[in-house]
Amino acid sequence: MDNLIFELKDVYFSYLGKYPALNGIDIKVKQGEKIAVIGANGSGKSTLLHILDALIFPDKGNIKVFGKELKEENFNNEDFSQNFRKKVGLIFQNPDIQLFCPTVKEDIIFGPLQLGMEKEEIQKRLKDITHLLDIENFLDRSPHHLSIGEKRKVAMASTLIINPDVLILDEPTAGLDPLTARHIVDLLIHLNSEGKTIITSTHDLHIIEEISDTVYVFSQDKKIIKSGPSIEILKDDQLLRDHNLVHIHSHHHKGKIHIHPHIHLDHHTD
Amino acid sequence: MFKNNNFIQYSIINTLSFLKESVFADEYALKKGFLQSLDPRLKTITFLLFLIQILFIKDIFILLGLYVICLLLAYLSKINLWFFLERTWIFIPLFSLFIAVPAIFSIFTPGKALMSLNILGLKLIITQQGLFGASLFVMRVTTSVSFAVLLSITTKHFELLKVLQIFKIPQIFVMTVGMCYRYIYLFIEIVENTYLAIKSRVGTKIHYKSGQRIIAWNIAFLWQRSYQLNENVYKAMLSRGYLGKPVVLDDFKIKTKDKMWLSLVAIISGLVFYFNNR
Repeated sequence: MDNLIFELKDVYFSYLGKYPALNGIDIKVKQGEKIAVIGANGSGKSTLLHILDALIFPDKGNIKVFGKELKEENFNNEDFSQNFRKKVGLIFQNPDIQLFCPTVKEDIIFGPLQLGMEKEEIQKRLKDITHLLDIENFLDRSPHHLSIGEKRKVAMASTLIINPDVLILDEPTAGLDPLTARHIVDLLIHLNSEGKTIITSTHDLHIIEEISDTVYVFSQDKKIIKSGPSIEILKDDQLLRDHNLVHIHSHHHKGKIHIHPHIHLDHHTD
Repeated sequence: MFKNNNFIQYSIINTLSFLKESVFADEYALKKGFLQSLDPRLKTITFLLFLIQILFIKDIFILLGLYVICLLLAYLSKINLWFFLERTWIFIPLFSLFIAVPAIFSIFTPGKALMSLNILGLKLIITQQGLFGASLFVMRVTTSVSFAVLLSITTKHFELLKVLQIFKIPQIFVMTVGMCYRYIYLFIEIVENTYLAIKSRVGTKIHYKSGQRIIAWNIAFLWQRSYQLNENVYKAMLSRGYLGKPVVLDDFKIKTKDKMWLSLVAIISGLVFYFNNR
């Protein structure tokens, strides 16, 4: 079984039955792996993540999670549902969606409370997670008083407090300043080193190498056009250019004008 | 959109800033004052007790005494007294003055004449009983409004919501109101930003018909956004284990200070009861 966590075979999904979002997706995710999903806007990345978190279910195809088939009717069983939610956590792209309570504290503890965790344990985890993310001072504040970076950290805390084995992140560094983005990347690396499986959808090619072992590239026709080790994918300029993931730009550097694909890799070493 | 446009601009900006200041600013609730340090449940119950007592008080001086206590509590809670008086006295003419004014005249309250007025040939007599009744009514409203405003500005809004739990209000209702509170702010920001975006593209001088179209389009856009948000928020709730029965953490704690406050309220209530019924 190779400790397979997710196994998707020929998965199709469409919105309202007429707007295709995924066309025959095959993915395997092993325990402790770091996976990145890249692709242009509207290529189906977020839909895939929602399917992995069992928020929506495919029209066609087969999904196995932790060796068992994932079906919508399974979630009618409270035990199955709670067990799955404890093991798989999703951090949404827009933190305003994830932070729906009047205060940061209520948002962070929402998950553990719904999952029936003991109150003492919740308090302990709350203390640990807010310390880890340096958000202890925000607890009584309302999410609308926070900056986008702070909201993103709180959204992460609200999922991490559940301590899921699999962490799914939708564009975790989008719109963040470089320092906050760096903190989030460091946190993901740390969580992976502790054995967590990390699945990230992103446009930030310069973080791909650090946050993924395997990269899946989605095309505009909602298919996986290529997958492989991150280094190999990032070297394929043509592939990245064909799928709107890099662009040609020019800039001044060391007194010269450079013209190259903009992927933030090691082009300055020469 | 000429003057009408200014009217819309003025209305949008002022409505939004009023909402932000009055509903979302927890400025005084965040101060470290006396009332802010009390357990919100006890504070709400004791304030409700004051409000019920105020309804039954027949002596204007007892009401005056309670009003002084209210002002003292505001002072101890680091509330700017001028701000507090402004907040409370805005409501009083609205709620009571218009109702109370006719009651001072003999037409409504017969009794001992104090003075008479002649307005456009109509002779109006102010009676002692009428004046006393009207004063008692205004004082009662003033004291009630002051206590209610004091409670709302010294308690964080989410705490007030959580207090609803003790009155056995269904959890789902409390949670829904909390979410409304959270997202109204988001929508205020969307409206503000959309208005600025329109202004930056079309300027301020557009024909009123175009203005109407833009506003209608905005309402539709906001509706669509709220619908999408609703769906996504539900997904976010499901993702963290929500099964349709919200569970909340009751983390209120009763401290010695709360017990002392409760004793003080019991003494005040006892005295009010005694003086009101002797």
